[in-house]
Amino acid sequence: MAHAIETHGLTRRFDGRVAVEDLSIAIEAGTVFGFLGPNGAGKTTTVRMLAALIAPTDGDALVAGHALGVDDTALRRSVGILTEQPGLYDRLSARQNLRYFARLYDLEPPRADAQVERYLHLLELWERRDEPVGTFSKGMRQKLAIARALLHEPAVVFLDEPTAALDPEAARTVRDFVKGLRAEGRTIFLTTHNLPEADELCDNIGIFQRRLLRMGSPAELRAGLFGAGTIVRVVGDAARYVPVVRSLAFARDARAVGETLTVELDDPDTRNPDLVDALKAAGARIRYVERLQHSLEDVYMRLVGGHK
Amino acid sequence: MKKALIVFEKEWLELRLQRALLLATLFLPPLLTVVAIAVFVIIGVVPAAGGGGRGLPLIPELAGLSPTELGQVLVGRQFSVLFLLVPIFIPSVLASYAIVGEKRERTLEPVLATPIETWELLVGKALAALIPALAITLASAAVFVAGILVFAVSAQVRELVVTPGWVLAVLVDTPLLALIGVALIVVLSSRVNDPRTAQQISAVLVVPVLGLLFGQLAGVVVLGPGLALGIGVILAIIAAVALWVATRLFQREVILTRWR
Repeated sequence: MAHAIETHGLTRRFDGRVAVEDLSIAIEAGTVFGFLGPNGAGKTTTVRMLAALIAPTDGDALVAGHALGVDDTALRRSVGILTEQPGLYDRLSARQNLRYFARLYDLEPPRADAQVERYLHLLELWERRDEPVGTFSKGMRQKLAIARALLHEPAVVFLDEPTAALDPEAARTVRDFVKGLRAEGRTIFLTTHNLPEADELCDNIGIFQRRLLRMGSPAELRAGLFGAGTIVRVVGDAARYVPVVRSLAFARDARAVGETLTVELDDPDTRNPDLVDALKAAGARIRYVERLQHSLEDVYMRLVGGHK
Repeated sequence: MKKALIVFEKEWLELRLQRALLLATLFLPPLLTVVAIAVFVIIGVVPAAGGGGRGLPLIPELAGLSPTELGQVLVGRQFSVLFLLVPIFIPSVLASYAIVGEKRERTLEPVLATPIETWELLVGKALAALIPALAITLASAAVFVAGILVFAVSAQVRELVVTPGWVLAVLVDTPLLALIGVALIVVLSSRVNDPRTAQQISAVLVVPVLGLLFGQLAGVVVLGPGLALGIGVILAIIAAVALWVATRLFQREVILTRWR
């Protein structure tokens, strides 16, 4: 599959301070890529470089088929960006805001008007199209800013913290909209602090703190860092079964808390029947057997915490 | 250039929605014109005190005028200089809201993310500040001239108020002063976050014009065509330098990484 975004050694320094170091990534077209990292990690600087807003100090990138620094105007025409701050004109109406940006994105007036209407309908803002944006709620402003990023139908969309500070309902609407964009075949570059959201939306994730710490699908990241495992809930104290489990050749480790026994093993699908047999042979009465699920937050904390 | 006009349109739309700002700035020249003509007319019809026929000894060209003529000339000249000041004040106010205001509201980054060239954005904003200011100033100046021509008590008064030097200054020097004002606002935008601060600092531009006013009143300076053109040349050089600095500061990279 073709890559919508490719970077090679992308680096940005500010007065000797390194904000982004040697970033090399390849993002497949039509996927959602989550770019996770703490505040000040260099995420916004990366987005600004990829959207041709600021130039890299070193390295190169190909975004939506355009090489960075060659024809940046064409590159900007091919991408859409939701900036960290919505940056809307409060005195202008929703329609006037969008129409202004549609024209700046080279849409001729009839098409600009059609696109404005289409996105105001899609994001459920049509009823308030002629009201000043200053009267809008935070969620409505964010939706309008997303609409602005899409008016010119870009192949690549950068969304910088799209659900930050939104109430759950508005955040859900935005997430559903992002899923819709992926279904249309657009490539989404999403920066977020919301780890469950990244887990839900992203095909691949890059964990970043000035440099790329790890990249992969959410499942790959979890498996790569923590390995696989099984949780067994038994009747009574689980600690008594720990020696039994540890004696099994395929079990890498076992620990117990109350009635819960956590077993780390390489191939749960194959080994779980043997594990259950061994426990039953040791007299255990089993309530549940579940797959051990590490959250993306566990992955993030281990990588970012470890890096600190 | 097409996008500069799109920016200009949007700025004009925003300005129309800021009634207070619009009234406070664009109504100043017509108001000054009305006051100037009213005072000019009153001086012409109210009998002069004293009744002497001599002008101020310091200004030879005013020698021999009647008190009424002298009053009209002095009033006309004082007000005429205000038409050189107004085009500095108005574009500075409009540009400060258009540039510093946009910086403060953080609306610049989405604009810079579009395929617009930064010079188009700068030109659009500069035009939005310059065109209304110059249009209203020149229109008011034209009305002022008409008032002088109609209500002057003598041909001599007309010639001494509406001089070729003043006309040249209005047509040549004021657009340049306004341009310098806008460029100064852009330069200041990289450092200040409040439009009012930018306006206050840019107000320094009125100092040379006030010097001209007082110099003329004292008879030390006569604003003839030569002086007006000479000032124009100096202003053109300053404007070119100011615009060069402004365009260096008004770049995506600089705005996003250096403007604080």
